[in-house]
Amino acid sequence: MARYGMALDYKNCINCKACEVACKEENGVLLGADKHRIWVGQNEVSGQWPLLDISSATFLPSQCQHCDNAPCQSVCPTNATYYDENNVVRVNVDKCILCSYCMNACPYDARYVDDRTLTVDKCTFCSDTRLARGETTTACQNTCPTKVRTFGDLDDPNSEISQLLRNREHFSLKSHLGTKPKLYYLT
Amino acid sequence: MNIKEFITSIPVKKVSIKDVLTPDNKLVGLAGIVLLAMYLFGAVTALIHGHHAYGVTRQHPWGLLIVMYIFFVGTSTGLAIIGSFGHIFGIKVYNRFGLRVSLLAIAMLLPGFAIILLEIGHPVTMMIYNTLSPGLTSAIWWMGTLYTFVLVFLIGEFIVGLTGNHKVSRLLGIGGLVADLAAFATLGSIFGYLVARPAVNGPFMPLYFILTAMVAGSFLIFLMYGIKYKNNFPEDIKPMLNTLAKVLGLLLAALLFFDFWYIMTGIYGHLPERGETISYILGTKTYWIAEILMGAVIPFAIILLSKGKNLAALTWASFFGLVGIFFMRYDMVHNAQVFPMQTMKITEYQLVPSLVEYTPSSTEWMIALGAIGLAILIYQAGTKLFDLEEKDHH
Repeated sequence: MARYGMALDYKNCINCKACEVACKEENGVLLGADKHRIWVGQNEVSGQWPLLDISSATFLPSQCQHCDNAPCQSVCPTNATYYDENNVVRVNVDKCILCSYCMNACPYDARYVDDRTLTVDKCTFCSDTRLARGETTTACQNTCPTKVRTFGDLDDPNSEISQLLRNREHFSLKSHLGTKPKLYYLT
Repeated sequence: MNIKEFITSIPVKKVSIKDVLTPDNKLVGLAGIVLLAMYLFGAVTALIHGHHAYGVTRQHPWGLLIVMYIFFVGTSTGLAIIGSFGHIFGIKVYNRFGLRVSLLAIAMLLPGFAIILLEIGHPVTMMIYNTLSPGLTSAIWWMGTLYTFVLVFLIGEFIVGLTGNHKVSRLLGIGGLVADLAAFATLGSIFGYLVARPAVNGPFMPLYFILTAMVAGSFLIFLMYGIKYKNNFPEDIKPMLNTLAKVLGLLLAALLFFDFWYIMTGIYGHLPERGETISYILGTKTYWIAEILMGAVIPFAIILLSKGKNLAALTWASFFGLVGIFFMRYDMVHNAQVFPMQTMKITEYQLVPSLVEYTPSSTEWMIALGAIGLAILIYQAGTKLFDLEEKDHH
């Protein structure tokens, strides 16, 4: 099966937040600022007028990093958090006991409580929705006006994401923790 | 001997329900009932509203209930360790503990369970899938499983001890001690394993948990005997408490040593996230007043200055010491989560995320403090129903 990941050409992000809206709409995520699977982080502009540091004003779209060595998965007492056949980190709501250990263990703040089921929810790379319908893109990728996001199979050398990662320098968030994220930020 | 014969062989005092409900110490008994009512009210609120009744958030998912769970089971572990001095290790002076300390350990363990059942969102699912699909890499799984063993061993040790079979009781006690040490150290490792949280990641927490458990257990023993004898200690119990006071003095010295180096290694070099957390700790009043003064320095000074002989002062110091232990648990849980994992602005008109704040809800307070009532009433019923006479049985 596939090993899904995502490359983010984050410098193209214009902070329109269409990805956040598309994610909520597609996956039925509850309203509320704390109830989100994905987000766009914003750096404050540093410096004092007129010497503003324009290079500091960047946006950093993010979400679950779908780590290959996910701390949230290893701490789960009931194996409710698991790697699915496409190496996507998922939560089985029937097994989740809401001990919240995964929320504390995640270095990226990618998990929250779904108030309907009172279980922990997170990004699924649209596995239950778009991918299940046979589509090959995620909602956040599909809606992005500046084509920040590229989703695809990292094991397929001919996929767009594999080609991007071969040709562009990139980094991952908090890589020193050894979590091996599958979200890659292109520089 | 079949099970029915065994159960009927457990010596139970023939007392009426009225006797069981009549406390030896009216103030403690009244506190027990009021606190239990609080617990029940909080529990019903939590059952109706679920996690919405708690003040926990996405950024701070563990709150006061986890704090009090650690407080209760940790003190229980401490009692089991200190209680083993006589029963298991054969140090004669501690034989006077008898079954009283075992009862106290059970009375502290059960409220811990009563709290965690309300903290876990789906306790029934937990029992099913902890068994059907165990997460063997999860410290919470091991902790929960080990504490189940602890409960069985402690109750077994107590009941068999009542029947007078000290050999089997001692064997169960050894099992209980090993399981208890493993369980509470594993509870510490739940924090120690968090690679995302450098302020608690590493080997410190399991060691700190066991040390503070022994301190908490000693405090509760002094408080229990102080209340039992209304600070008018009979001569025959003094040698044991004087010796225990010296042990507590040593433990408190070790605790201050632990605290000092935890802080020093944290601020030296100011490692990102960890340095900020330690600086935050140093700026909190609860750290200095509750953890350091009440939890360590004052009882240590009393023991040092009186050479462990001022037991009346130690009763009071132990009461405030347990308040200090509560804040050690509270601050540890809070400090573990105080540095935000989301450090960027993610909504308009939002300030840049700073350290995470947490305020327990009234429901959390009612459940957490109310569970103390459960401990008091279990202990009280135990002392009424069973003969805990502290005779030298070795």
